[in-house]
Amino acid sequence: MFSGNYRSATQNLRRSKWRTFFTMLGIIIGITSVVTVVSLGEGLKHQITGQINQLGNDVVTVRPGKLLSKNGGGTNLNLFALLTPSTLTTKDVGSIRQQRLVKYVTPIEFITSSASSDKGEFDDVFVAGTGSNFVNTVHQKIKYGSYFTDDSDSGNFAVIGHDVALNMFGELNPIGQSVTIMGQDFIIKGVLAPSEGGLLSLAQADYNSSIFIPATQAEQLTAGHTNILQILTQIKPGANIDQAVKDITAAVAKNHGGSGDFTVLKQDQLLGVTSQVLNTLTGFITAIAAISLVVGGIGIMNIMLVSVSERTREIGIRKAIGATNRQIRQQFLTEGLVLSVLGGIIGVIVSLAINGLVKLYTDWEPVVSVWIVLIAVGVSVSFGIIFSLIPAIKAARKDPITALRGE
Amino acid sequence: MALIELDEVSKVFGFGEATTLALDEVALSVEKGEFLAVMGPSGSGKTTLMNIIGLLDRPTHGDYNLGNESASRLKPIQQAKLRRDKIGFVFQFYNLLPGLNVLDNVSLPLAYRGMTPVRRAKRASDMLELVGMRDREYFMPSQLSGGQAQRAAIARALINKPSIIIADEPTGNLDSHDSKVVMELFSEIHRQGNTILLVTHNPELTRYASRVIYMYDGMIVGDEKTPIGQMARHARRIYFKKQRVTDSDIAAGVSAMLKDIPGKEITSKTKRKKATGRKRRLIKRSKK
Repeated sequence: MFSGNYRSATQNLRRSKWRTFFTMLGIIIGITSVVTVVSLGEGLKHQITGQINQLGNDVVTVRPGKLLSKNGGGTNLNLFALLTPSTLTTKDVGSIRQQRLVKYVTPIEFITSSASSDKGEFDDVFVAGTGSNFVNTVHQKIKYGSYFTDDSDSGNFAVIGHDVALNMFGELNPIGQSVTIMGQDFIIKGVLAPSEGGLLSLAQADYNSSIFIPATQAEQLTAGHTNILQILTQIKPGANIDQAVKDITAAVAKNHGGSGDFTVLKQDQLLGVTSQVLNTLTGFITAIAAISLVVGGIGIMNIMLVSVSERTREIGIRKAIGATNRQIRQQFLTEGLVLSVLGGIIGVIVSLAINGLVKLYTDWEPVVSVWIVLIAVGVSVSFGIIFSLIPAIKAARKDPITALRGE
Repeated sequence: MALIELDEVSKVFGFGEATTLALDEVALSVEKGEFLAVMGPSGSGKTTLMNIIGLLDRPTHGDYNLGNESASRLKPIQQAKLRRDKIGFVFQFYNLLPGLNVLDNVSLPLAYRGMTPVRRAKRASDMLELVGMRDREYFMPSQLSGGQAQRAAIARALINKPSIIIADEPTGNLDSHDSKVVMELFSEIHRQGNTILLVTHNPELTRYASRVIYMYDGMIVGDEKTPIGQMARHARRIYFKKQRVTDSDIAAGVSAMLKDIPGKEITSKTKRKKATGRKRRLIKRSKK
C-alpha cells in the first residue's frame, strides 16, 4: 500500500513542480540553516580545541574573575566573569614564578588594539606585553629573528605574528622596521611562525595578528595600569599538574586576601569551558534557525490544505471505489512526508555546498557530522507527519457524496 | 432472499426551514441478476436512492439489507469495504482520476484491497480486454474519447467482481454511437449474471432493462417488469410524448416528462396530503 501511496504522491507532486518546489522551500531553508549553523559551530569547536591542544597539556592558565561556579553535579561557566576588569597583578606573576613545580611563567597584558606602521594605522591587532619565555611556555615557534631574551629587557623591541607582518609591512620578514604603539616606536625583533587556526578564542589570543612587547615596556606604556588577561604557566616535566594547580591557586589566593576572584584552569577544563560557550552560542543560533523550520512546516500544511480542497472530487472518487478513511489519510500523509523529506535532503545538500564554499573562501572549517544529518532528516520526517496530519485527517473525513459533487 | 432490500427508507437533507425530504419511505427489493432501470425527473430522488444502495450515504430512517446483511448502520470503514468488494460505480462523467493512466485507474480498487502491483496490473489488463480497451492501457484519461473513458470506468467498476453495478446516467454525456457501445457492454455484463442498477433519463435505454421503476418526489410511483429488448410501456409513452413540450409547460416550470409519470394520477390530493403529513412527522423525528 505504501509503495502505491508513494507513487501517487510523487505523481501528484511532479504534476505541479513549481508549487512543490515552493512548498518545500521553507523546509529547505530551515534544514539548510540548522545544518549549516551546527556545522560551523562544530568546525569552530574543532579549531579552538586544536589551538588549545597546540598550547600543550603542561600549560596551566590563570584568568581573572571567578569563571567556574559549581552548580549541583556539574561545573557551570559564569559568563559575567568575562566582563569584569582584570584582578590579576604583576605580584601574582611573581608569586607563581616562585612555585616549585612551575617551569615558565608569562603574563599576557593587553595594551591596545591599534598600532601603526609606514603603511598606516591598523586597528585590528592585539598588542600585548609578555615575558621573555612566552614562546617556550606556549610551544610557539619563531620563524624569523628571535624573541626578547631577558625579562628586564628595556629595549623597545616587538615580536609580531605572521598576519601582522603581511598586513602592516607587506612582507614576511620585516625585521628591523619599526611599529608605533601608543606613540612609542618599537623595532621588530622577530616574526612568529603561523599558528594554527586563526580565530580569537577564550583560550588565547590569535597569535597570528598579535604584537608582543616586553612586559616591562607594557607597564611603562600603561603607566602601571596593566590589564593582565591571563597568566600562562608551564609545569615542570613529570610534575603533578593537579598539585601545581593547587600550589598556584594557594599562592594567588594569598595575594588576593583569600578572595576567589580568579580562576586556575588546566587544559581539559579550558576545553570544557570553551566548548560550553560555543555550545551555548550554537544552540542559540540553532534555535533561531529552527523557527524557520517550523514556519516551513506550516507552509507545507497550508499547501496541503489547499491541495485537499482542490482534490475534493478525487477524494470522492477514491472513496466511491472503496478507499477507507485510513487509506485516504495515508495517501495525504505520504504526500506530506515526501515533500518534507525531499526538502530535508535538498536542505542537507545545499548546506553541504555552503559549507564547502565557506571552507574554500575563509579559514573556517565547518564539520558536518553524521548525527546532524540524521537529525535533519529525522526532523523532516517528523515535521512531514505532524504538519500533514491535519490536512490528511480533513481529507479522510470528507463525506463521499459531497466530495463527488465537488469540482 | 432478494439481493437488495429497502424497507421504508427515508432520507432527509438539511435542517430547519431548508429541510428536504429526498426519499419518502421507499420500499424496494431487487433480485440477483436483475437489470433495473430507474427513471424520473431531476430531483425525484434517483441519485439519493443509488447513493444509499451504493453505501455512499446512509438512510435517515428505515432499513437497508444488502445480501442478507443489514447495511444501513455500518461503520464507515465497513461501508468502505463493502463498497470496494460488492459495489461497482459508473458515473455520468466517468470520474477517472486524471493523474493516473487507464491501467492504474482500473486497478485502483484492487490497490485498496492490498493486492500486489503485478497481480493488479494483470487483472486490470484482462478487464480492459473484456471492455475492448486493451490497446489503450497506457493512455491518460484526457486522451480518451467519452465512450472509451466510460468503458474504462466500467472496467474499473467490474474489477472487484461486485454483486451490484450502479450506473448513474452512464450515457448522459455520450453521443448515440458511444451510448450504444456502452449499453451493449452493460447488456453483456448483465447476461453474465450481474445485477445492474441504471439511472437514466432516456426511455430508449429501458430496452436493455428487465425491470423499470419510476420515481417522483422521493417516492417510487411506478414499477414494471419488461422484456429485454423492448422499451418499457410507460417509458414508451414518455418517449413518444417527449416532443410535445409546449411553451406553456416550460413556463409553468413543469417538465413534460412529469405529465406521463404513471401513478401521478394516484398522487392526487389525498395521497399528497398524506405525504406532507408524513413528511412533517419525519422531519420532527430527524430533528430529535
